[in-house]
Amino acid sequence: MRKKVVTALALLLALASTVAMAEEKRWVSSDGTTLKTEASISSADVASLPVGTELSVIEAGGRWIKVRTAKGKEGWVYAGRVADTAPSAEVTKEGGLFGGTVQGSQIETAKADSARSIRGLSPETSQYAKRRGTPESFKKELDKILARKVSAKELKAFLREGKIGEYAQ
Amino acid sequence: MIRVFFTAVMMLLLAVGAARADLFKELDKLTNPDSKERKILSGATQVISSSKEMDYATERTIGESLSLESLQRFGKPVNKEALQRYLNLVGDAVAANSKRPTIPYRFAVLDSPVQNAFAAPGGIIFISKALLGVIENESELAAVLAHEIGHVAGKHAIKSIRRAQFLQGVGTITAATMKGDKGKQFESMIGDLQTTLFDKGLDKGMEYEADSAAMETAYRTGYDPRGLINVLKKLQKIEGSSIKKGSWYSTHPPLDERIARLEEQLKNYPDAASLATVKSRFARQVKK
Repeated sequence: MRKKVVTALALLLALASTVAMAEEKRWVSSDGTTLKTEASISSADVASLPVGTELSVIEAGGRWIKVRTAKGKEGWVYAGRVADTAPSAEVTKEGGLFGGTVQGSQIETAKADSARSIRGLSPETSQYAKRRGTPESFKKELDKILARKVSAKELKAFLREGKIGEYAQ
Repeated sequence: MIRVFFTAVMMLLLAVGAARADLFKELDKLTNPDSKERKILSGATQVISSSKEMDYATERTIGESLSLESLQRFGKPVNKEALQRYLNLVGDAVAANSKRPTIPYRFAVLDSPVQNAFAAPGGIIFISKALLGVIENESELAAVLAHEIGHVAGKHAIKSIRRAQFLQGVGTITAATMKGDKGKQFESMIGDLQTTLFDKGLDKGMEYEADSAAMETAYRTGYDPRGLINVLKKLQKIEGSSIKKGSWYSTHPPLDERIARLEEQLKNYPDAASLATVKSRFARQVKK
């Protein structure tokens, strides 16, 4: 009997301590974050993690952190890509180069040309240029700047070549 | 037996009490204006209130209009496609790890003799050829671009014009709000923005915030976080022979103070020296 009570006591205590020490959380704060099977960029992908994804920490300390998603997927994520606070609601609503946030993009199709994909000056800026009498050559230069889009693939290759962040050896 | 149960209940209460005490400790931190928690909270409320006032498309239109003026004032982009693409790769690399990683950023080198870099609202960022000339590796370039990204993420330029007449009662710019008197007010607002960014400079606190964000962002990306300190020290050395008007010298807080603050922050990154500087690729792309 006494043994049973002690076991019950231990169980109760374990339960209480779990409540007291809530699981350590991190949030994906970088665009283009991937959950990997091991603490290495060359290991297989488990999942893409949109900005704002909540993660439970299983193991931390080094430059890679072992985490679990709300859907129960486990893997490793580069420490520079997560934060100990959730990103602002505004950030998680916006699009991103890698095209993914938890809440999806607030920038609707109509605005997409002037924002995410950008194919030149917005109609409102063109109107401003007209009012100001901005020479055509400057408008063209800004158009060129806005059209110069880097792809997610190019960026990954660039980081790999420079051995930067999770690509460092 | 009863005694054992009594002990169990007491221990449980104690454990729950400890959790509660933690909660009160956390809440207590919020009342301290210097605490990390309070800063996070005030940052969050600022973002909420400013996003209520202005949507992204509007912010971007302001940024594009300011960019048109900047090109006329400082010079057109340097006509080297490979260099401009390289700049965008470095910029996007750090932007992905910034506090505002999900808007589309663009970066351009301008053919200007003034040592300067600046950010137009919405994420259009410029660096002058003269400032690029001072930089010696990719981690330094990443730091300068991350400083400008810090201004965009903090919406510093937008905050500096929040009292503009144009913005009163306007949350979204449309073709209609660009006509007539409203159009004139918009022009005047872009004029004020130029005065702030190119003559008076932003609030000092905003510059320190952008410096701090730059070091953190560079570090998170995997670049040596000492990049910005290195650039500022180089600028210090050539201060005597540099053009001051419209430069980082005249529109930013004193270099000494900026360096001192960054040196202090650097203590948070004991592994700084092991991170990437990428000198050879930088030299190949920029110095040719």
